[in-house]
Amino acid sequence: MNALEFEEIRRAYRKGVDVLNGVTFSIGPGQVVGLLGRNGAGKTTLIRIAMGMIEPQGGRVRVLGLDPRLQPVEVKRRVGYVAEDQILPPYMKVGEILDLHRQLFPTWDEALAQRLLDRFELQREARVSTLSKGTARRAALLCAIAHRPEVLLLDEPASGLDPAARREFLETSIQLLDETGCTILFSSHYMTDIERMADRIVMIHDGRVLIDRDLDELREGFSLALVPRAAGVTRERLLGVAGCLAVRERPDGFHAILRLEPEEARGAVEQQLSVRDVRCQTVVLEDMFVELAGGQS
Amino acid sequence: MQIYIHPGDELPIYRQIVRQVTDAIAGGRLASGERLPSHRELALQLVIAPLTVKKAYDELERERLIATQRGRGTFVSESLPAIDPVLKRERLRDAAQRLLSQAALSGVPYQEVLDLLEEIKKGMQP
Repeated sequence: MNALEFEEIRRAYRKGVDVLNGVTFSIGPGQVVGLLGRNGAGKTTLIRIAMGMIEPQGGRVRVLGLDPRLQPVEVKRRVGYVAEDQILPPYMKVGEILDLHRQLFPTWDEALAQRLLDRFELQREARVSTLSKGTARRAALLCAIAHRPEVLLLDEPASGLDPAARREFLETSIQLLDETGCTILFSSHYMTDIERMADRIVMIHDGRVLIDRDLDELREGFSLALVPRAAGVTRERLLGVAGCLAVRERPDGFHAILRLEPEEARGAVEQQLSVRDVRCQTVVLEDMFVELAGGQS
Repeated sequence: MQIYIHPGDELPIYRQIVRQVTDAIAGGRLASGERLPSHRELALQLVIAPLTVKKAYDELERERLIATQRGRGTFVSESLPAIDPVLKRERLRDAAQRLLSQAALSGVPYQEVLDLLEEIKKGMQP
């Protein structure tokens, strides 16, 4: 059984303006999927739909085989969730929040909670309103994982944290992953964090899934072609090359992303457009993201 | 041995691990029979997904540079494989080509390139 399933998910906030317009993908148990997309692409909406916090207007969601609309408590018990703007009650003490979670989650692991408290240097007596941003996020992560969730949903969990705090956050997530083999769906604008954590990339663009690939396949099986300006070289003709996913016009020519290894990509572009001096190379995730997001029609 | 990975690198992380382990074996810093960290140890140490380490080790095992012994761990192979001589040459050709282009561009005479190779070779001996 898949840990997460999204099937033809639709959601609009205003009539006629779809954020998600038929998003379909599923995640097998133990997979770690990095969710990419520009601001406003609907990443947060999708994660909230999985949490049952937002209802989709069309399509089907399953979390561990459950429908978050019909079985919200069961889903929340088996899922951990950390969001960028997640706010713990400011007037409560860390210890009180932990007590509350222990009561809500039958699978709460007090030993793990204690270990994380020590590791994160969190004081039970500290009031949430006095915590720094990084410390508050660590407290939120503790609450999200001490019940040993089977699925972890992370929505920009590291944004606003300093590099050391971000790395520590990753370390803890990886430890959990290693200990429990949980399934993770996480969105982030830090491409290096995604490269560290993810097995697979799902990129949402224009309300749909634009890319759904194994990360290493994306890194090694896709190329960026640098195509000089020449007679007969146009954006449209480049998009017509088999395997071409995105084209950006730049001052010095065109940048195209192709679903081919560099040598094949060069051959395909040079042959089909009768152009010479095309350079092709594999690219890091950050550049891939920029090219894909910026190179859509 | 110490491994350092860089997520923004041209090579995917698992390839970086493969390359560094291969270099260490070739350079004698990792000897036959030496134990490698487990998947989880290396994943936690490098702060990367355990699956990525598995992928790197699988690749190294395919190349018969390392071997996993059930319940005991992963070790550098006792007898390192003899690589197909044609393939061996092809792999080196790319690197040699790049080296010579760089030397030509920088105006470094061929003899100096050879001297440099000699110097590096000395440094690699354990």
